[in-house]
Amino acid sequence: MQPLSTACEVQGAWSDSAGPQWATLRMERGAKEKNHQLYKPYTNGIIAKDPTSLEEEIKEIRRSGSSKALDNTLEFELSDIFYFCRKGVETIMDDEVTKRFSAEELESWNLLSRTNYNFQYISLRLTVLWGLGVLIRYCFLLPLRIALAFTGISLLVVGTTVVGYLPNGRFKEFLSKHVHLMCYRICVRALTAIITYHDRKNRPRNGGICVANHTSPIDVIILASDGYYAMVGQVHGGLMGVIQRAMVKACPHVWFERSEVKDRHLVAKRLTEHVQDKSKLPILIFPEGTCINNTSVMMFKKGSFEIGATVYPVAIKYDPQFGDAFWNSSKYGMVTYLLRMMTSWAIVCSVWYLPPMTREAEEDAVQFANRVKSAIARQGGLVDLLWDGGLKREKVKDTFKEEQQKLYSKMIVGNHEDRSRS
Amino acid sequence: MGATHSASEEVRELEGKTGFSSDQIEQLHRRFKHLSGDQPTIRKENFNNIPDLELNPIRSKIVRAFFDNRNLRKGPSGLADEINFEDFLTIMSYFRPIDTTMDEEQVQLCRKEKLRFLFHMYDSDSDGRITLEEYRNVVEELLSGNPHIEKESARSIADGAMMEAASVCVGRMEPDQVYEGITFDDFLKIWQGIDIETKMHVRFLNMETIALCH
Repeated sequence: MQPLSTACEVQGAWSDSAGPQWATLRMERGAKEKNHQLYKPYTNGIIAKDPTSLEEEIKEIRRSGSSKALDNTLEFELSDIFYFCRKGVETIMDDEVTKRFSAEELESWNLLSRTNYNFQYISLRLTVLWGLGVLIRYCFLLPLRIALAFTGISLLVVGTTVVGYLPNGRFKEFLSKHVHLMCYRICVRALTAIITYHDRKNRPRNGGICVANHTSPIDVIILASDGYYAMVGQVHGGLMGVIQRAMVKACPHVWFERSEVKDRHLVAKRLTEHVQDKSKLPILIFPEGTCINNTSVMMFKKGSFEIGATVYPVAIKYDPQFGDAFWNSSKYGMVTYLLRMMTSWAIVCSVWYLPPMTREAEEDAVQFANRVKSAIARQGGLVDLLWDGGLKREKVKDTFKEEQQKLYSKMIVGNHEDRSRS
Repeated sequence: MGATHSASEEVRELEGKTGFSSDQIEQLHRRFKHLSGDQPTIRKENFNNIPDLELNPIRSKIVRAFFDNRNLRKGPSGLADEINFEDFLTIMSYFRPIDTTMDEEQVQLCRKEKLRFLFHMYDSDSDGRITLEEYRNVVEELLSGNPHIEKESARSIADGAMMEAASVCVGRMEPDQVYEGITFDDFLKIWQGIDIETKMHVRFLNMETIALCH
């Protein structure tokens, strides 16, 4: 089953966001001059781990242990424990997966107290600066942004409903596209999102599927303000539902009832139908299925890669200096999250459109998904993980566990047999 | 751990007891809080959330080692129900790398401590000896994932190993002499001259403290 993400809020802002934009440009230019990487890859935790495989490490231990005769069974078994013991303690100290589900730790403070674990009183000047920051963000920026958000959402609902009354045809499509784009751009301004799009020539075309890494619901707004997509998602109630119903009047988005989401074949069928109709818009999908904290890319669910359409990968990387865009859904609800977004300084991100990929003859869906995932991870400077984002809420699947254990036991018994033969 | 006076004294005390630097202690404290869900103590169940640990065949022995009274230096046997941060650090200190500035005697001491930690993992009934049963138990756990290996193979591996141990430790045995089990001294004898304890450490990266805005 492939959980689908939805197109959500709509906000808008006509305000002049020239200030922060100028700052970003300067930063980027400065970085280029000094040849620094603007978004450097996330440093890995607190311990240095050897990237060797299970087999190599065990061989090493055995080699160092057996200075005497080769068939010293006792040492072999005892030394294998060393390896697993150490590995176990290493993962207890710091593991790759659980830290992806909470906000990234920053190396330098960005004047938002929420991102600094060691927030303590250092100096009067700093506290005053911070206090000023709070004042500006909450009393000046926030009301402005909320007003714009309100404008944007209402415009979207009203606009798409009006367009929906028109007869189907080119004029309707034209209007619909521009209504959508305008409203999303208003939203982008409401968040003061400063987006740099790279390689726009690779933008998704009709009949394709656009896949991207998922950090927050804002991803949708960011992508949709630069291109015209068909959204895929579950039908919601409330304000969301109103927006969804209005949007679908203007152009064919794919909304699933909650019951339909469970049926993988139904989902695949509807998506295939949509994709095969060349007049329909490219679909926007987030194959991770859940929000990850933008330091890594987790396993892509294979559903969207089985359909057989051209895949347009997109990498989105947020700059943590200005605000943390990650939505920790177990900690914050949607409204709290939006408030946090709107009270940050700005949301700065880069979007890279990667060249389209298609499934090759010998590949199956899973390998194709991994290939796309690696491309996205490489471009965005994110860590490429094989783990399933579903681990946020569930435990490791038993099948995966068993595979690893099989590998190890094969090695031991193999060696034992060799020894008894010689 | 904030900037209050008593808290930093605590840190210094822990530094002295366990040998970690204050940065490392802070990192580990964060990790502790993450594992315990912001509670002051950790129980066995808290280790269930680490996916990588699930793959480890001797997972239960490792977790058990955290609660073992012998490792916590709280008694000759038995298991604690929960451990606090200081206990957590005590266990972690068994995995600190051997400091190159230490003299020979201290190095030997460190080595002994690490090997003793391992010995306790095998010796589950705390009687000071690794019996054939206990050894078999460990080998079975190591091979537990593979359904194709029958219990018999696991047993024969364990039996073979114990015979080797007997020959190394006791030398020639009389035909009716029973080998009771590997004592800690025998254990040390087996590993004598082999630099195995360098495999028993976790290397900490040099963590810069989180700098304030510049």
